[in-house]
Amino acid sequence: MDPSGIFPTSYRADRRVVRTRWQAIALALFIGLMLAAPYLASGRIIAVMNMMMISAVIAVGLQICTGYAGQINLGQAAFMGVGAYTASILASKTGLTFLLTIPLAGLSAALFGFLFGLTAARIKGFYLALTTIAAQFIFHFAVLNLPSSWMGGSNGITVPPAEIFGFRIIGETAQFYMNFAVALIMIAGAFGIVRSRFGRAFVAVRDDDVAAGIMGINVAATKANAFLIGAFYAGVGGALWAYLIRFVGVDQFTLFNSIFFVAMIIVGGMGSIVGALIGVFVIRIIQEIIATVGPNIAESVSFLGGDIVFAGMNVILGGVIALSMIVEPKGLMHRWNILKSSYRIWPFPY
Amino acid sequence: MTAAPLAVRNATLKFGGVTALDDVSITVNDDELLAIIGPNGAGKTSLLNVTAGFYRPQMGRVELSGQDVTGLRVDQIARRGLARTFQGTHLFAGQTVVENIMIGRHMLMKSNVIQAFFQFGPVMREESEHREAAEEIIDFLEIEAIRSRPVGTLGYGLRKRVDLGRALAQEPSILLMDEPMAGMNSEEKEDLARFILDVREARKIPVVLVEHDMGVVMDLADRIVVLDFGRVIAEGTPEEIQKNPAVIKAYLG
Repeated sequence: MDPSGIFPTSYRADRRVVRTRWQAIALALFIGLMLAAPYLASGRIIAVMNMMMISAVIAVGLQICTGYAGQINLGQAAFMGVGAYTASILASKTGLTFLLTIPLAGLSAALFGFLFGLTAARIKGFYLALTTIAAQFIFHFAVLNLPSSWMGGSNGITVPPAEIFGFRIIGETAQFYMNFAVALIMIAGAFGIVRSRFGRAFVAVRDDDVAAGIMGINVAATKANAFLIGAFYAGVGGALWAYLIRFVGVDQFTLFNSIFFVAMIIVGGMGSIVGALIGVFVIRIIQEIIATVGPNIAESVSFLGGDIVFAGMNVILGGVIALSMIVEPKGLMHRWNILKSSYRIWPFPY
Repeated sequence: MTAAPLAVRNATLKFGGVTALDDVSITVNDDELLAIIGPNGAGKTSLLNVTAGFYRPQMGRVELSGQDVTGLRVDQIARRGLARTFQGTHLFAGQTVVENIMIGRHMLMKSNVIQAFFQFGPVMREESEHREAAEEIIDFLEIEAIRSRPVGTLGYGLRKRVDLGRALAQEPSILLMDEPMAGMNSEEKEDLARFILDVREARKIPVVLVEHDMGVVMDLADRIVVLDFGRVIAEGTPEEIQKNPAVIKAYLG
């Protein structure tokens, strides 16, 4: 809902994402702060932000596939892995620039995702979830069992640093800008997709696939497209991951990671790009707090042993996610929207 | 003479041992409002479902403007100019009225995913053009005041109107309506009847209406087809149908 006094005067204005001057100012401030962040914050925080931006790209892709098109996807980490491996192999064997390896990583992941999207034409819900889990296992199986000269097998692949105009993107700060630029493009693109005819077709298929068909929407193709786009995002995120860690191994892309991506979009709010970003922020912060506090607790209560403390920490993380679903099943974004419309109409009840 | 907007030829549909449609043929002419009536279980909705591609008839053909569409997917038939509204509604409840109608424009829009990703100029122009068409329909159906309300929060009568608007947004060459008046009060019925007549008069879209409310059917229809046990038992103008002994027998038993 727009605040009072804001009336779009053209159809173009009515579909803007940034609708008020304050939102524009806030967005500009946020981007400015992000650009200045490497000079303001410590290396540790920059490292966390790098991780968040990569997760954001992947979670936004999952949001399009699951949140908008309603196709449950527990294979997002496998799609990310396909992207990471594609980028690593291309970079280490052919020396292609990252300007090409990142989109190619996205495309190869998209192709892999598309195959699973085709199954979505015939099965729904729980069965689809199981099928996408198969993506995880196929990915692991392929990497570990194909000749290790292809994909490094269990040894993984070392990735050469990204390079642009002879400048090597090494270190958290340089990588921060690379990740930020890519994340910015991908998130802006996601806003474009969800506001286009494709976004509307996704929502139509999610809400009522019988009616979507009679609207002239090819339901099977739309579902497959949703997987394709979601996996493209995962592939791009995977490529960024490969350049950040400079090493890819198969155990970086497990079902566990996939479930965390799903948790991010649920906590943030299904069917909202901003919701996915909020979810990434919240979950990554909690993970980071646990990683920081955990060792301290393990030290102070050493009789428990480190293992139990770390297991307990994961239980707490799971508990936080479960609690947020019980309190606000529609996600934090929904809560924020309620808050926003109530202060915009204040002091009237509606 | 050009081919009829819609022709069903000798359609037979069986579910196991039950014959839902038995050698049914109907033809809808240009600018015509054809009503299909019949007792419960006569096969009216089956006929619509065969026409729209939800069921595939065991025998017979469906033609849209002379083009054979039998056995095509629902969305392919929709793209060839057939729109339908549902008994009850199949709206996208969480979406606003404008968004619902814009979904109806989906198949008329041409931009691809890459253009959508970057929001190039053509995408913006296309969105604005189609939004204008959607607004024109909103204007026609007099639902301006609720255009940005989620459809799920609207009353039944308004929802039916949005359903009609979404079908009109497809710019169909034929419109099928499955019991549009069911569950409405008389005021809502009058409103919707006026809009259905307007669709035919102003937009020149032939309409096939399946309806139980005889008053509505007799007032609106140009021609009536009566089904009973999956067979066409009578066909003619409202006056002829009212006097037809076979129809009276089917209804009164």
